[in-house]
Amino acid sequence: MYDLLIKGGLVADGTGAPGFLADVAITGGRIVSVGPDLPGEARRTVDATGRLVAPGFIDPHTHFDVQLLWDGAAKPALEHGITSIVPGNCSLSLAPLRAGDRPGVIGMFQQIEEMPPEAFTQAFDWTWEDFAGYRAAIEPRLAINVAPLVGHSVIRQWVMGADAQQRAARLDEITAMGDLLRDCLEAGAVGLSTSFVDVDENGRPVPSRFAAFEELDGLCAVLGEFGRMLQIVPEFYDVDITIARIDQLADLSLAHGIPTTFSPVFDSQATPDAAPRALARVEEQFARGARVWPQVQTRPIDISFSLLRPSLFFARLPRWVRVLRLPLEQRLAALTDPSTVERMIADAGPDGGERLMGALIVRGGDRAPAGLAGRTLSSIAAERGETPVRALLSLSLENGLDVAFLAASRGHDDTARIGPMLANPHVHIGASDGGAHLASFATYGDTGYLFSEFVRKAGALTLEAAVKKITSDTAEIWGLKDRGVLREGLAADVVVFDAATIGRGAERPVFDMPGDGMRYIRDAIGIDTVVVNGEIAWSKGAYTDAAAGTICALN
Amino acid sequence: MDTTLTTQRRFLRPRIDETVEQLAARAMPDQPLENAVDRIKGWNLHIFAMRRPAGLLLGSDVVFVEPPRG
Repeated sequence: MYDLLIKGGLVADGTGAPGFLADVAITGGRIVSVGPDLPGEARRTVDATGRLVAPGFIDPHTHFDVQLLWDGAAKPALEHGITSIVPGNCSLSLAPLRAGDRPGVIGMFQQIEEMPPEAFTQAFDWTWEDFAGYRAAIEPRLAINVAPLVGHSVIRQWVMGADAQQRAARLDEITAMGDLLRDCLEAGAVGLSTSFVDVDENGRPVPSRFAAFEELDGLCAVLGEFGRMLQIVPEFYDVDITIARIDQLADLSLAHGIPTTFSPVFDSQATPDAAPRALARVEEQFARGARVWPQVQTRPIDISFSLLRPSLFFARLPRWVRVLRLPLEQRLAALTDPSTVERMIADAGPDGGERLMGALIVRGGDRAPAGLAGRTLSSIAAERGETPVRALLSLSLENGLDVAFLAASRGHDDTARIGPMLANPHVHIGASDGGAHLASFATYGDTGYLFSEFVRKAGALTLEAAVKKITSDTAEIWGLKDRGVLREGLAADVVVFDAATIGRGAERPVFDMPGDGMRYIRDAIGIDTVVVNGEIAWSKGAYTDAAAGTICALN
Repeated sequence: MDTTLTTQRRFLRPRIDETVEQLAARAMPDQPLENAVDRIKGWNLHIFAMRRPAGLLLGSDVVFVEPPRG
């Protein structure tokens, strides 16, 4: 008797082969058979008639490190069909980390991922320092599979202390970092992440950016012992620098026999040749034999914010960030202090913020005045006889700061250009940033958007090709053992969905996080059932009690 | 399979504890130092304009030693 039988669906098995009508039988967390009209009974049966049956989707770029400590499903990622995630990107992870270094790293998570500091103090008992301890802390409650990266910045912090953000490492320190990385890889880390662009909460470059190339080369030598991944965030705003980073990654890949990946690659009307140039360089480096996987996200760039909390929108306005980080009472005082306000207004540009803020759309909020939702700040400002930046400040102050603004379609929104990129065999679909940028945009639903926008609407990929991109391709790139394909003997990660309707819901705020609690999410559309290691984790619009997720085994 | 790399904008990596002046002299030994430093600063706004503190040279930096190619 099978544990679970998924009957009568159209199976897209993750290889890219044309879909075929078949049943999928599961026992002991493994697929035991895939074929038409399988004989035998099952303890549970899922009727997949008229539905597509695919391997669970894999998200290779997330920041769920903290959320996994209280939410083993990484909600709402799982309900979108994601059955495996890679946290620990961008040089940041929660281990290895000495207790004394926690405040600094919390600040970096706050800056880079918009994780409220209360998440670290109210939501879990922080008992570990090493990577194995972090793994042990998350593993018991996992409903989703996890392939965690270890962050270069925290490795540096462990070995160098405060000097990690001051100077290059000595040879003995590089050796110590390599030893520490080796411990993490032996404890299940899928690779190393580093960043060339991120800053901490004080605007200072994160520790990984102080590393000379020799340090990264030494760490990649350790990755080479295991054949594991190096992930980086390049200076994505400048294609010349991105190409230089691609070349560095290629050299490291070839020297140490490792896969490498970088993200994001954004398409922009302002610099239309940037993404094509970067991808052309990737092609050249693949031709040399290097493995340099660019991650391209499916969703356009939208940023929402209010003055209730810091936002990515103000990344280039450090004075605004400092003010928005203040406790509410002090923030309100700063926002009504004439000299502070004049400096903030000056930061918004000589045009009164027209270029930066004029096109913002009022989303509304609990206390937002009626009649403003959907209107641009520019039109509201004109009506009030103010510049856009003054209107943003005064409108916010008049409403207890609870007015949300949307910076819509800030790039990466031309489907005709992005579709072929996603279909490119050397492009890795990813860069969701799941679990990060909580107060700026929803990082969920990118897989649904892949199907709704690029399969159904644009026809840039076939259904089977899209499934392959986010299942077996991802598993192969990252070396995830026994995942990404529906085949006898492999792990039973399965998603059952309606190919005619799968998509992403509208972005909406929810208040389910520790501390001030707000984040933007999107609901799943068209997902019927999600199975993780043979257990039904999501069914008919609700989570189950299953906690069958695990730390991914690696090839 | 063609394994030729097209020519891209040239850059250097800073050496450990190298100053901007030392890097400029290394990049453009035939130039007067002041000119060389000015050029390095002008070609690397990500280091000398966008960064806080401006001009903080990091071990991981990409430092261009020529202007953008047309």
